[in-house]
Amino acid sequence: MAQVKNRLTPFFENITFDRDDNELVLNFGPQHPSAHGQLRLMLHLQQEQIVKAHPDIGYLHRGMEKMAENMIYNEFMPTTDRMDYIASSSNNYGFALAVEKLIGLEVPRRAKVIRMFLLEINRLMSHLFWLATTALDIGAMTVFLFAFREREYLMDIIEGYCGARLTHAAIRIGGVPLDIQDSFLGQLRVFLDKLPQNIKDYEDLLDSNRIWLMRMEEVGTISTEMALSWGCTGPMLRASGVAWDIRKEEPYELYDEVEFNVPFSDKGDNFARYRIYMEEMRESAKILYQCIEMYEKCEKDGQTELMAHAPKYISAPKLDIMTQNYSLMQHFVLVTQGMRPPVGEVYVATESPKGELGFYINSQGGPYPYRLKLRAPSFWHTGILTDLLPGHYIPDVVSIIGTTNIVFGEVDR
Amino acid sequence: MAQHKVNYTQDGGLPIALTSVDKIVNWGRSNSLWAMTYGLACCGIEMMAAGASRYDFDRFGTIFRASPRQSDVMIVAGTLTKKHSEFIKRLYDQMTEPRWVISMGSCANTGGMFNTYATVQGVDRIIPVDLYLPGCAPRPETLQYGVMLLQKKIRANKAGNAQKAKRLM
Amino acid sequence: MRAYKPKDNVQAKAYYTDRFYVAPQVPKSAVETDEVFASDLEAIKAKFEVKDAYIQVEQMVIYINAHDIYGVLELMRDELQYTQLSEMSAIDWLAKDNTFEIFYQMLSMTKRKRIRVKYFIENGQAVDSVEKLFRSADWSEREMFDMFGIEANNHPFMKRILMPYDWQGNPLLKTYPLEGDEFAAWYEVDKIYGKEARDIIGPELRDTARVDRYDSERFSRLGFEVPKGTKITGDEEPHVESYQEESGVFMVTKLDKESSKVIDDPQR
Repeated sequence: MAQVKNRLTPFFENITFDRDDNELVLNFGPQHPSAHGQLRLMLHLQQEQIVKAHPDIGYLHRGMEKMAENMIYNEFMPTTDRMDYIASSSNNYGFALAVEKLIGLEVPRRAKVIRMFLLEINRLMSHLFWLATTALDIGAMTVFLFAFREREYLMDIIEGYCGARLTHAAIRIGGVPLDIQDSFLGQLRVFLDKLPQNIKDYEDLLDSNRIWLMRMEEVGTISTEMALSWGCTGPMLRASGVAWDIRKEEPYELYDEVEFNVPFSDKGDNFARYRIYMEEMRESAKILYQCIEMYEKCEKDGQTELMAHAPKYISAPKLDIMTQNYSLMQHFVLVTQGMRPPVGEVYVATESPKGELGFYINSQGGPYPYRLKLRAPSFWHTGILTDLLPGHYIPDVVSIIGTTNIVFGEVDR
Repeated sequence: MAQHKVNYTQDGGLPIALTSVDKIVNWGRSNSLWAMTYGLACCGIEMMAAGASRYDFDRFGTIFRASPRQSDVMIVAGTLTKKHSEFIKRLYDQMTEPRWVISMGSCANTGGMFNTYATVQGVDRIIPVDLYLPGCAPRPETLQYGVMLLQKKIRANKAGNAQKAKRLM
Repeated sequence: MRAYKPKDNVQAKAYYTDRFYVAPQVPKSAVETDEVFASDLEAIKAKFEVKDAYIQVEQMVIYINAHDIYGVLELMRDELQYTQLSEMSAIDWLAKDNTFEIFYQMLSMTKRKRIRVKYFIENGQAVDSVEKLFRSADWSEREMFDMFGIEANNHPFMKRILMPYDWQGNPLLKTYPLEGDEFAAWYEVDKIYGKEARDIIGPELRDTARVDRYDSERFSRLGFEVPKGTKITGDEEPHVESYQEESGVFMVTKLDKESSKVIDDPQR
């Protein structure tokens, strides 16, 4: 078969070559297996050393902010899943919390506990995925297979809860739609009891591995000033010496009732970030144990409410809709026209596995947000590559991209 | 000399199977479908999960390759945006024939939920597609089933003939 | 009669609003109710003009003049410990009064406070870049330029970031439809195959849910496959999928359900 004709010009059409130095321009991506998505890097090389890096993003820009302006609030919830698709529930939660703050809702306690379950399971899933892919990029295939095995168990639990493996849409504005399934706590306990041994397995494979250490230690060092200036948050910031965790500092949900530590390091290199991810997994497990206790206490106290009671914004429970006329009318209006939050604006930040996930909502009293800005942590974690990569060598690029833990659904939105 | 432990007179005689060229070529092609890693978005994660420990794609002979020149099937897993569209064409042109394309997930099939200015409404606007997998995101089982369907499709074709030009231009 | 559609805002709108509906307001409180914010506001007021200030949802919002932005953020970073610029972008008010509203979301990690600094600019006016103060503004301002067409003075690399360099239009303007204009609809076809291919490839099919079970050219029903182009009557024979070739591959014996072990416990 003859080649299908196309009009694409040679590859470097948008770069100027009128330079008189010996720099080599290397194109990395957008389809590169270790670019963690669709990152395109233009690297200017002096031999093997990078002198200038130019990340090019937007290859997964799907116009989510524009979609939000054309969707009623509940309709937008599944779209947030596709932002940070490694940990979808944390995006659902960020959006739900922003709308709840806007309309001033208080969520029932049982729903809060279930949300905590989902958030921390998502954090574990995200960190395990990070470990798997980064280890794979550096060549540790075993760790990839191990970490994915554990991640599948977590996905089973989530799947039992909401039916989806990846894109959960498991949180609603005003609460959660479902109670956890019967097998949830049992499966979670089995998983959590095995987790310390699993983490130790990964650490035994990696911590003293010469290749791992050579590619991680003293590579990709981010100073505190640089991290702050670039708007880094989450593990990226904590690895650079700032112990800032929104769960601790500006607690939401029940994070002020659980006990956990915020691991941080002042080294700022890849290895520090790796250590922080490992420690955070342990802390998440600790939080999940406490959540199990809180859930059982809810059970004992007979707190069965899952959705907040706010007839202006939230539909009544299904039983009421089926039996009571006014609830049915309200539900019909809320589904067809959408809720109308008050006029005002809100910016709410939550600690997603990657960092500070913020939702800025400007409401003009209509059923559609007037402006919705998604503050995704990975956007700036990609931007920092501009300043971080120069001075490093080509193989370091892969390990640095790995430890920044960028997800392109979130970078490009 | 090594001793043969196989008794050639038992179980239907000598270990020889007669077949046609079509069959043997298609047998080889369909059982070693090397897929190109084209994880664009969420579906790419499920594609990775399909290749990882639980779903284990290697047993189908499906091994992920990073280079289009070494791969037979392109699994377009995720949203194709307008900015990316020229690259998928370049990569498709780089693949050696015979080549197949699996469009994985709603976004790659039709644009899916992203009915916006920035999204290509279906990857078949740019390259010909052999198999569409529904779902957002499709489960790894769906991808496995898809690969098995593609194997059937390959086995049903004549191997000797040059591939017919697929849709598009 | 054809309904009038406003051209200056083509986004989705409520199809019905009660005549007497008055939208409630998110409560605002005075800055004096929070002493940290009050002292911050005093420090800013000493040097710059503050047009309005209030607290809404635990965060202070201040309105300043457009030309003061660099000075205000410098003061906040160096003296008031607002060390991080979390977010900045614009809001399109062109339909209302031909202005853009720019907001900067500031975070102080020592005080655990967030302030939103805002100002208005006219359409066509440029903002002052704060990229020298906060490197994160580098990409934010590029994104704002990409999405709204607002340029930033003194920015080192004022180019599109999310959309391709050869894109036309600014997607987040209210005049830009969600599905894009004609340029957007044909972008990939024009670029890869050229304009003359438009007729062959055809327009985008935006109805993603369209499935026609009687169309055997474009759809095949799993389990009831017929050759392409066959007329579907509805009484097709079900077609049983077997995962192996009929006689089995000669190396593998035929798999059957009865003799195989099914593992149903994922936690085994």
